[in-house]
Amino acid sequence: MNDDSQNAAPPDKPEPTGLKYHFTPRRARAQEAKKANPHAKATTHNPAVVDALRAEFGERIGEVVTYANEQTVFVQRRAIADVCGYLKDAHGFNFLVMIGCIDRFTETERFEVFYNLVAIDPPKRLRLKVRVDDGETVPTVTGVYPNANWHEREGWDFMGVRFDGHPDLRRMFMPEDFEYHPHRKEFPTLGIPGSLPLPNQETDGELTLDPFARAHGSLPSD
Amino acid sequence: METATAPALARPAGLENEVFTFWPKHNRALYDRLETKHAYVERDADPLEASMTLNIGPQHPATHGVLRVVAKLDGETIESALLDLGYLHRGIEKLAEVKTFQEFMPYTDRMDYLSPYSNNVAWCLAVEKLANVEVPERAQWIRTMLCELARVSSHLLWMGTMVMDAGAMSAFLWTFKWREEIYTIFDHVAGARFTVSHCRIGGVTTDLSPDAIGMIRTFVENFAPDIEEWDKLLAGNRIWVERNAGVGTVTKEEAMAIGLAGPSLRASGVPYDLRRFEPYLKYEDLDFTIPLRTEGDCLARYLIRLDEMRESVKILRQCLDRLPEGPVRVDNAKHAYPSKDEVYYSMEGMIHDFMMTDVGVAPPKGAEAYHAIEAPKGELGFFLASDGTGSPYRVEMTSPSFANLQALEYMLEGVMVADTVVMIGSVDPVMGEADK
Repeated sequence: MNDDSQNAAPPDKPEPTGLKYHFTPRRARAQEAKKANPHAKATTHNPAVVDALRAEFGERIGEVVTYANEQTVFVQRRAIADVCGYLKDAHGFNFLVMIGCIDRFTETERFEVFYNLVAIDPPKRLRLKVRVDDGETVPTVTGVYPNANWHEREGWDFMGVRFDGHPDLRRMFMPEDFEYHPHRKEFPTLGIPGSLPLPNQETDGELTLDPFARAHGSLPSD
Repeated sequence: METATAPALARPAGLENEVFTFWPKHNRALYDRLETKHAYVERDADPLEASMTLNIGPQHPATHGVLRVVAKLDGETIESALLDLGYLHRGIEKLAEVKTFQEFMPYTDRMDYLSPYSNNVAWCLAVEKLANVEVPERAQWIRTMLCELARVSSHLLWMGTMVMDAGAMSAFLWTFKWREEIYTIFDHVAGARFTVSHCRIGGVTTDLSPDAIGMIRTFVENFAPDIEEWDKLLAGNRIWVERNAGVGTVTKEEAMAIGLAGPSLRASGVPYDLRRFEPYLKYEDLDFTIPLRTEGDCLARYLIRLDEMRESVKILRQCLDRLPEGPVRVDNAKHAYPSKDEVYYSMEGMIHDFMMTDVGVAPPKGAEAYHAIEAPKGELGFFLASDGTGSPYRVEMTSPSFANLQALEYMLEGVMVADTVVMIGSVDPVMGEADK
């Protein structure tokens, strides 16, 4: 997987000697990347399921990426609920572990929503992935997995990805009054001053919206 | 012997056509007395017949943290309940994006703060999977052993508070005696009682001293008989059994649909334990069973956790007997910190130490991996995406408490208010983990 040209083995230069103990040479690193991942699991590699998905959905299944023996299947946005329903009925993927969102911070197809599905017996685990533009919606999978409810609310709260047909799309952790989606890449780690009311720094006085009120010399009451 | 049948009671005058209530005059007098300038009583319907909204939490001892339950009550029955999360939200997934992989370790201690060691291991394994880092044998055994100690310590706290929620104080003191012993062991092993941060990417920071191993052995020997004693005291206790049996029953199909996790899921008959499902560390080589029950009620969840403590003791014994000699951290300067001897006495060692702190482990660009462990409360997993630097591009946690609380919202519908406390206790939520 390691395609970084820095790590590729230099073709003709001899290995440096004398520093073997403290220095891990580049050739060894390139070898390492090729080694099987010691933490890889057998459950996450299911080519039979992927083939069945391709046969059933054809064009709507995109590429399949494998890293550390984990298969990630890209699915067309509109097909995700159907694919989940099919996996649940035909392949025993009857347990949804989590739904997560990634902000790729690109012009198009900015967000990725991934679904971590598990089949209990025989043990299988599969990751489905959907790419979505800013402002587009993803069909909800609450009809297939009722526990997708809170996970999709979390996706809406943190990333601002809307789930079409969700029964109760409120924010999960942040208050409804909050205007931002804090896990987006443009949201600053320190937070946005004034976005949430805070207790006053004086013993009495009103709530302030500025967490740095004292530094700004604008204490609300004197 | 003949029994006389009592004649039907006549309704009081003026109330013949109304819904029957006991002691109408008495009740009216009570409601009149209650009315002040701050409170009013609705008069158009009997308050006992009308539905009411009750707010429980976020500051409430029975909610095990800052959980807020808003319940719509019909008399004493909960018609529907909504859970409000986020009172302990710190955004640690976002914070991870500006930390190196190793720097994030102390944050994991503060997620499920009842079993910090499990969180450390979950984080390390996820990073090691992402960056293809090997872990030496001895470190894996140490991690397995201390994970099981963390499981025991978490279940002990759960048991103490759960029994206290049901009205008995004494069990809390017995379990905390043993939790204290575990704290002492962690203090010896990691130098901290509570927030241990003992793991390192590629191994653990320090080897176990013979003292520490002796302490774990003593703990295992003395602790095992106490479980049986508690079992006798509680399983034979009528109050305890009747508060729990048949309360909050969840069937196997429901449990999967609402996404229960860990012991609560297995109490409903779903054999999903990651120690067997996707064996990590040394669990493949160990001899133990996964406790499973089919009743799915609060009592089953109690019995499962009791059995898990017995199994943990079994695992601890095997770990102590089979702990191999060897290094506790991988000898690869690009994957793990060098030992302190190297740092103090060689230039390269010092440079590597600096580089590990400054940059750390850098997984390949575009790599994504998910690794989960069976934490005391259920599946605790980290999904990591890398952009080729020393800090994660995106971290997404699977937290068992979050899953269990979602299930709790469903379970609370139609139960009595008095049972909520037992049911919240039985799914064992920790808000530090659920709120992220």
